[in-house]
Amino acid sequence: MNGFIQAAAAAALCASLAAQAPPILERTLPNGFQVLLVERHDEPSISCGWVVRAGSANERPGITGVAHLFEHMMFKGTRTIGTRDAVRDGELNRKQDEVMKTVREEQALLCERLRRGEIQDLRDPAARTPRLQAALAELDALVKAQRALIVKDELPKVYGQAGATGLNANTTTDRTFFHIDVPANKLELWAWLESDRLLDPVFREFYSERDVVLEERRMRVEATPTGRAMETFQAMQWQASPYSWPVIGWPSDISSLTRDQADAFFATYYAPGNITLILVGDFKAEEAMATLTRYFGRVPANPVPPPPVTVLEPPQGGEQRLTADVEATPFVLIAQKAVPSVHRDAAALDILAAILNGDSGRLKRALVQGRGAAIEAGCGFEGQKYGGTFRLYAAPVPGKGPEELEALLLDEIRAVQDQGVTDHELQKVKNQIAAYTYRRMERNGDLRDQLAEAVSAGTWRDFLAEPERLQAVTREDVQRVARTYFAREGRNTLVVRRKETK
Amino acid sequence: MYRPLLLALAAGLALQAQAIPPRPEAIAFKPLAFTVPKAGAFKAALSNGIPVYIADEPGGLPLVRIRVFIKGGSYLDPAGKEGLAALAGAQMRAGGTRRTPAAALDERLEFLAADLQAQLGETSGSLALDILDKDLPEGLDLLMQVLTQPAFAPERLAEAKRALRQGLASRNDRLDTIAGLEMPRLLYGEGHFTRAGATAASVDAITREDLAAFHARLLHPANLVVSVSGKFQRKAMLARLDATLGRLTAGSAARVSPAVPAPAYRARPGIYVMDKAVPQSLVRWSLPGLRRTDPDWAAATVLNRILAGGDFTARLTKKIRSDEGLTYGIGGAFGDGPYWRGNWSGQFQTRNASVAYALKLFLAEVERIKREPVPAEELASIQAGIVEAFPARWGRKAGVVDLFASERLVGWPEDGWADYRARIQAVTAEDVQRVARTYLDPAKLVLLVVGKADEVLAGDRDHPGALADVAPLPVVRLPLRDPLTLNPLS
Repeated sequence: MNGFIQAAAAAALCASLAAQAPPILERTLPNGFQVLLVERHDEPSISCGWVVRAGSANERPGITGVAHLFEHMMFKGTRTIGTRDAVRDGELNRKQDEVMKTVREEQALLCERLRRGEIQDLRDPAARTPRLQAALAELDALVKAQRALIVKDELPKVYGQAGATGLNANTTTDRTFFHIDVPANKLELWAWLESDRLLDPVFREFYSERDVVLEERRMRVEATPTGRAMETFQAMQWQASPYSWPVIGWPSDISSLTRDQADAFFATYYAPGNITLILVGDFKAEEAMATLTRYFGRVPANPVPPPPVTVLEPPQGGEQRLTADVEATPFVLIAQKAVPSVHRDAAALDILAAILNGDSGRLKRALVQGRGAAIEAGCGFEGQKYGGTFRLYAAPVPGKGPEELEALLLDEIRAVQDQGVTDHELQKVKNQIAAYTYRRMERNGDLRDQLAEAVSAGTWRDFLAEPERLQAVTREDVQRVARTYFAREGRNTLVVRRKETK
Repeated sequence: MYRPLLLALAAGLALQAQAIPPRPEAIAFKPLAFTVPKAGAFKAALSNGIPVYIADEPGGLPLVRIRVFIKGGSYLDPAGKEGLAALAGAQMRAGGTRRTPAAALDERLEFLAADLQAQLGETSGSLALDILDKDLPEGLDLLMQVLTQPAFAPERLAEAKRALRQGLASRNDRLDTIAGLEMPRLLYGEGHFTRAGATAASVDAITREDLAAFHARLLHPANLVVSVSGKFQRKAMLARLDATLGRLTAGSAARVSPAVPAPAYRARPGIYVMDKAVPQSLVRWSLPGLRRTDPDWAAATVLNRILAGGDFTARLTKKIRSDEGLTYGIGGAFGDGPYWRGNWSGQFQTRNASVAYALKLFLAEVERIKREPVPAEELASIQAGIVEAFPARWGRKAGVVDLFASERLVGWPEDGWADYRARIQAVTAEDVQRVARTYLDPAKLVLLVVGKADEVLAGDRDHPGALADVAPLPVVRLPLRDPLTLNPLS
C-alpha cells in the first residue's frame, strides 16, 4: 500500500538510530585485555564488568560445571583479600587437597559397590569405610582450622561498605560475566579488587562451595516441576555439541571436581587476551584508562591462547521426541536447530519470531484467541556462540492435551513458508526494534550487559550493527529462513503432560 | 587537538608510576555529594486533585512513561468472587475499549511499539504506558480509553478465565506457590482477605458485569496518583495531563476506596510441614515485626542486614551457605506494613534431610545476636553499606517519581527517606540488641516447611537431630490443598 512511505520512514529511523548510538571507545592493554568504555554523565555511578570467553562449552565430560563452580570460587578471595594469614591458609588448602585424594579413592570404592548394587546411596554414613570416615573427619578439622583464618566474604564486604550494589556473576554456555555498579568516585576500588582476583585468586572453601552448587542445582533443576525434563530435552537436542550438558553441570561431576581441575581451567581461560573489561557511566575515559592500565596491567599475559571449540554439531539424523509426565501445566515445545547469533540469517530469524509473537502476533491470534485452543503460545530464536535454536511453544486450555497444539504451531510456520509475511507485519516489528534500541540503552547496567553478550559471541560492533541489520531484513528474507530452518529432520519436540500431584 | 591528548598521556604515565596500595582501604577517594530528592520538587496536582509526580528529562532518550497508580485490589473482592480484582485489572487493557476493540488495541499499541499494562494486586494496582515521545498524544488517548471506557470484551474474559483456571490447577506444582498460599492463612487466619485465593468456583462466578461494576467503583479521582517521566517539557506535559486525567470526575458508582482491613487473627506459633515429593525443601519463617514509621525501624533494618539481608555478608548466609554449604541462598527482611505491622520473614531451600540442622543453626544465630552485642567493626560495616548504597536507589528519575507516587498512594509520610541515612548512622549496638530481644522471639515463630515430610522430620544422619528437637514448638503436619477448591486434601 504505502511501501514508499514506509521505506522513507525506515531510512529516517536508521539515521536517528545511528545518532543515538552510544559512544563506545575500544582500547587494548599491553597484556591483551580488551577495554570498552562508554562515558555517560546522567547518574553519579559506573556500571562495571568483565567478561571471560569461557563457559560450559569449554568443558568436557567429567568436569562439567567447572566453569560455573569457578564463577563461585572467584568470590572466595585472594592472597590479600579473605584471609588473615595467606601462608597458613595456603598450607591448609594443600592439606585439604591431600585428604581429598583419600576421600576420592574411598568414594571410588563406594561407586564400585553402588555399581554392583551393594549400596543404594553414596551419601549414606552407614556405607562409609572407616578410612573414609576418618578422612572426612580430618577434612572437617582442616576446614575448621582454616575458617579461623578466613575473613569471611571480604570481597562483598569491601564493596558493600563503599556503596557498590549488584555484585554478582553468571555463567552461560559461552562466557562468564562478573559485574557490579559502583559510585562514580569508586572506580579505583573496582580496579583494585578485580585485578587482584584475576592476578592472585585463592579457591578457599572449595569443598563446601561444591555443596552450595549442588543445592543451587537442586533448587533450580531438581525441585522445580520441569527442570529435569528441560535438561533431558537439551541433552537430547545436542549430540556432539557441548551445549548438550547443563551449564551447572551433572551432579556427579560437580561433587567430584578438584581444586587442581579448577586451577587448570583458570590458567587456560582466565587470561587477559580472553577477557574484556567494560565500563558504562560517569567517568572520564582517559583517567579511567590510566587507572585500568595501572591495575590490570599487573596481570601477566598468557603466552598460549585458549584452545578453540572445534566441535561442529552434525546434522541431526531424524526427528526426535521426548514425552515427560511431570507435575506441571502441560505444554508442547518444538525446538529446531538453527544458527549462531552472529550468522547472517540470525536477524531474519529474530524478525520471524517477533512477527509470530506478541498480543497481535500470529501465534496468539491463531491458537489463543481464534480457536481458544491454548492459554498461551509463543516462540523465540536464541542464537548462541556455536549454534542456535528456534523454539515454538504452546500450552493447552484446561482439559486438552498438548499434542494437538503441535500441528497448529507448525501450521503457522507453514503459512509463512507458503505465503510469507505482510508489509504491515514487518513494519510493526521494525518499529518495535527501533523503540527497543532506545530501551536497551537506557540503563547503564543494561548497556554494559549487552556489550558483554556481544563480545562473548562476536564483537562489540555487532551490538551497534544489530538495529540496522534487523531493519534491513526483507519479507523475502523472512520467508526464506522459514523455509530453510524448519526441516522435519532437524526438529526436537518436548511434550509435557500433567502427572497428578502425590 | 593534540595538546589535551598529550596532557592526558602525560597524566596517564604519571599515574602508572604510582605504587599500588597494599589494601583497598588505602585508596583515597574524592567525595561524592548526594542529597535525597525532595518530593515537593517533583509534585504537581491536576484540576480534579489527582497528585502528579513529574520528572522531565529533555536531553534523554525519546521515551515517555506515564503510570497511573490505583488504590483498590483484591481486598475489595466480594465473598464468592475471589479473583475479581485481578481479572478486572488485567481486562481493563486486554478486553479493549468502547472505541477501540481488543484486537485493534493490541494491534495499534504494538505497531506504535508502545507498552500499556494494567493490573490490580491485593491493595493497589496501576496502568502503565511506555511510549516513544512522538506517539505520546495517541498513547495518552489509548491510556485514557483503557482507564475510563474499558469494554471488557466477553471473549477476552473467557480467554482469561481459561488461563486462570489452568493456573489454579498448577498451584501444587511449585514449592513457592504452595508456601505462598499457606503462609497468609497461618499468619492472618481464614477471615482475612490475604488468604482468600481464587477458586475454580469463584472464577466461574465472575461475570462481565462484575468487572464493569468493579471498575466503575474504582474510577474516582481520589483513588488515583500519577507519575510521569521522560523526554518532554514539564509545562506542556502538565497541560496535557490536565486536559485528560484532570477532567476525570467521579461517576455515580464511584467510591473512595475504603481502608485496607488489618487482620484480627493471632498466629499460632509452630513448625508446619507440608508433604511434597521433591529432593529439596522450602523453609519460610515469620515473626511479628513493626511498621516503617516505628522509632525502632532503623535499628530493625540494621539488625536484619546483620542477620539475614544484604547478599553475601549476613550472618545466616555466612553460617548456613558459606560455612556449611547447606543452601544456595538465605535471606530475610522486615516487611514495612503500610496497613498493619509487617513481619520479620525470610526463606531458604535445603536438602530435605538438612532442614532440621539448618534450622538449628538459624535459631543459634538468632539467639547469638540477642545475647552478644554486635562488634563495633561489624556494625560500622553494615551501617556504611546501607548508607553508601542509598544514593544508588535514586539514580533514575522514573524510579524516583514512581516511588513518591506509590508512597503517596498508601499514605507514607512525604520525604520519609530524607533523614534515613542519619537514622541508620545513629543506631548503636545496644539498639540492635534491644530490637533483637523485642522482635526475635522464637516462641512466636511460624515456620513452614514444604518438602518430603518423612526425610524432613527425621533430619540428617551426619548432624543428628529430628525436626521436633529443633525448638520447643509444636510440629504440625498440614495437608496440601485441592488446587481448585483450596479445601485440604485428605
